[in-house]
Amino acid sequence: MSTLIDQARRVPRFAEAAVERARLTVVPRTASQRAAPLPFVTLVSLLLVGGVAGLLLFNTSMQQVSFTATALEQKAQLLDARRQSLQMELDRLRNPQRVALAARRMGMVPPATPVFLRLSDGKVLGKPLPATPDEAFRITPLPTSKPRRLAPRPVYVDLSAEAQRSLVGAAPGARAARGGTNGSVTESQASPR
Amino acid sequence: MTSGRRPAPSTRRPSRGRSASPARRRSASLVRLRVGFLVIAMVVSVFAARLLQLQGVDAQAYVAKARAEGVVTVSLPATRGTVTDRNGTPLASSVDGLMLVADPTVTVKHASEIATIVARRLDVDYFEVLQRLRKPYTHFQYVARRVPADRAHGVVAEIKARGFKGIDTRRDPVRSYPADDVAANLLGFLNADGNPAEGAELMFDHLLAGKDGSASYEVGGGNRIPLGDNSSVPPRSGRNLQLTVDRDVQWYTQRVLRSAVQGAEAASGSAVVLDTKTGQLLALADYPTFDANKPALSRERDLGAPSLRNVYEPGSVQKVLTAAALVDARKVLPRTRITVPSELPRGERVIHDYFEHKRLRLTLTGVIAKSSNIGTVLAADQFSPRQLHDYLRRFGLGQRTGIGVNGESPGVLPDWRSWQQINQDTIAFGQGVAVTAVQMAAAVNAIANDGLYVSPSMVKGEATTAEGATVGSDTTTVRRVISARAARLTAGMMEAVTNPDTGTAGVAAVEGYRVAGKTGTAQVVDERTGRYSDKDFTVSFAGFAPADKPRFTVYVVVKNPRNGGGGGSIGGPAFSRIMSYLLQRYAVPPTGTREPTPTIEW
Repeated sequence: MSTLIDQARRVPRFAEAAVERARLTVVPRTASQRAAPLPFVTLVSLLLVGGVAGLLLFNTSMQQVSFTATALEQKAQLLDARRQSLQMELDRLRNPQRVALAARRMGMVPPATPVFLRLSDGKVLGKPLPATPDEAFRITPLPTSKPRRLAPRPVYVDLSAEAQRSLVGAAPGARAARGGTNGSVTESQASPR
Repeated sequence: MTSGRRPAPSTRRPSRGRSASPARRRSASLVRLRVGFLVIAMVVSVFAARLLQLQGVDAQAYVAKARAEGVVTVSLPATRGTVTDRNGTPLASSVDGLMLVADPTVTVKHASEIATIVARRLDVDYFEVLQRLRKPYTHFQYVARRVPADRAHGVVAEIKARGFKGIDTRRDPVRSYPADDVAANLLGFLNADGNPAEGAELMFDHLLAGKDGSASYEVGGGNRIPLGDNSSVPPRSGRNLQLTVDRDVQWYTQRVLRSAVQGAEAASGSAVVLDTKTGQLLALADYPTFDANKPALSRERDLGAPSLRNVYEPGSVQKVLTAAALVDARKVLPRTRITVPSELPRGERVIHDYFEHKRLRLTLTGVIAKSSNIGTVLAADQFSPRQLHDYLRRFGLGQRTGIGVNGESPGVLPDWRSWQQINQDTIAFGQGVAVTAVQMAAAVNAIANDGLYVSPSMVKGEATTAEGATVGSDTTTVRRVISARAARLTAGMMEAVTNPDTGTAGVAAVEGYRVAGKTGTAQVVDERTGRYSDKDFTVSFAGFAPADKPRFTVYVVVKNPRNGGGGGSIGGPAFSRIMSYLLQRYAVPPTGTREPTPTIEW
C-alpha cells in the first residue's frame, strides 16, 4: 500500500488537474433520448404489408398477363390457320384448269397462231388467222364410262309389220316418245353411251 | 481478511437444508430437458434419414417426378417447304391441319347429330362417319383426316356448342397441291402417313421436311404459369424448292398430250418441253397421270414419271442424230445424193421403208423429209460401229440425264463391240436402242442449241438429292457434240419435214414461223412373242422453233395408238399446239427470214 502512495506522491504537481479531469464519473441516465417505439413498428408493418400486397398484386397481374398471352396465342394460331386456308383457296382458284374452264364457258379458244403487234412501228409480226372453234381441244377428262352392269347394251328387236301396227295401235303415244328408227323399236330404254 | 467471514457457514447451514428441493427440481428439469432433446434428436434424425433418402439415394427420380407434375411438352411442328414453279407459283404447299378423332363409346349416343354436322361442314360421307361413330369395342376412330385447321376448329366448336362430347383433334398437316394433277408426275405426293412417296417430295425430302421443335412449360388450369420452368427448341422450317417448270405451260402441255393420247385411242404418252439454251424443263407431261391431292384414286403404275423411267425404241427421230453425226464427220452434206432402192437386203434381213416405193433418187434432206430407213442405213454405212456409237453416246443416249428424279432409267445403247451389221443399220434409224423421253428431247435439243448438249435440269438453282447428287440449273454441264455448222445444216434438213410440200409432217408447222422437226414411228416388241408387234407402235414428234434461232425444243411421244396414225398425224398437231402456246407466252416473234426451198430429189 505504501508503494501506491509513493507513486501518487511522485506524480508531478502540474499533472494533478489532468488526473482529476480524467477520473471516471457516472453519467446520469437521460430518459428523454429513448426513441418512441410506435412510429418504427408502424413503418416496418407498413413496409411488410405493402410488400406482401404488392407481391400479390404483381403475381395476380402476371397471371392475368399469362391468361391474356394464352388467349392471344390461341387467337393468333386460329388467324394463322385461317390465313393459310384462305391462301390455299386462293391458290385453288388460280388453278389453270379452273381458269381455262371459265374461259371456255365464255366461248374463248386458244389463238390459231401467235401474232404480235410491235408498238414502235405498228407492224404486225406473225400471220394473223381467225381463231375458230376447231382450235378448242378437250381440256376435261373423258367422262368415265359406266360399268356394263349399270349401262347394259340396248337390245334391238325387229318386229314384223303387223306386230308394229298392233303396238302402235295399242299405245299411239309410246312409239313417238321412244323415237324408234329404221323400223326397229328399242326394247329397253337404256341408251348406249 | 479471511477471519472476518468465519461466521458465514453457520448462517448458511439452515438455508442449505431448505435449498434441497430446488436442486431436486433443477435436476428433474434437466432430465426432462435431456429426454426432450433425445426425442427431438430422434425425430430430427428420422427427418435427416428421410432427407438423405430423398436427396441422396433417389433424388433424380423425384426431380423427374416433380418436373413432370404440371409440365406440358408440346411438339412444335416444322412447316414443310413449298415447291414452286419457275415463277414462284406454288405447286405444293403445306397448311396447318388437324384430324378429327372420335371415341365411339362416347359418341354413340349422339352419332347421327355429330355425323350430320361433320358431313355438312367437311367433305366426308355421312354414312361412313356414322358407322365410325358407332363402332363398338373401340375408343379411337378417325372421323376426318387432313382438315385445314380453321375448318376443324369450326366443326369442333359447333359440336361442343351443341353439347356433344367425344370428338377431339390431333395434328395432321395438310399438303396441298393447288393445281391437282399439274406436274404431279414431277412433284410426287405424301402418302396417308404423311411420308413422301414419289417424285420431288421424296427426292428432296431432307430439304423440304425441316426439323420439328418442342416446347415444355408448366401449366396450371390450362394457362402457362409465369416464371415457371419452361424450355423450348424452335422448329426449323423446311427449305423451299423451285422447279424450272412453268405451271401454265405444264398445264397446257398436259391437256394437249391427254387430248392427243385420247384422240389416238393410245395407251399412254409423254411430252417434254425444253428451253433450248439452258436445257431447263419448262414442262414434262405424262399421261395417264394422277391427282396429287388424291393419289389413291389412280393406279399405282401411273404415280411416277414414265417420261424418265420407261424406255422405248425412239424410231425415226433418231435419224436426225445419225444425220447430224454424219454431217459433223464430214461424210455427207444435206444435198448428198442417195439412190434408195425399194428394199435393201442386209445379211439375212431385208430393210423396208414404211411406204411402198420404186427406186428413189433422194438427197439426204429428202431421206430425212420422207423418213426413209433405207436411205439412212446407206448413209450410215460410212460410219464404223464405234464412230456411230460414240456420237450417240455424246448425244446422251445410254446414260442417265441426272435430272434428279428417283428411278431414272439410263436407257439402252448396246456396246459397239457387240454390234453386227444389222445392229448398226437398225440403230441408225432408231430400232435396237432404247431411250427415255427426256433423253431423246435433250439429244434433239443439242442440234437446236448449235451442237452443244446441255444436261437437262428440273430444279431451279441447286439442290442435293436424297442420293447425294447435286442437281439443278446451276450445275448443268455443256459439251460439244457436233459443230455449229453441222447443227445448222441438220436443222435445215429438219425444216423440210414440216414443209407441207416435201415432208411427212406439214401439220406440225406453226403458221408464220420456221419450224424444224422430225417424226418417228417405231415398232414395239411384243412381250409375249419377243418379236416386233404388227399393231403396237410408238409414234413421236420432236422439233424446235424458230428453226433459225431456236428457243424451245418440244418432244411428244404417244404409245400404242389404235387409230392407225403415225408420228406426223398424232405427234405433229400436238407439237404444233404446244409450240404455238410457248411462242406466244414467251413473246417470241417470227424471225422474219424466209425458209429456203428444200431440195429433196435429184
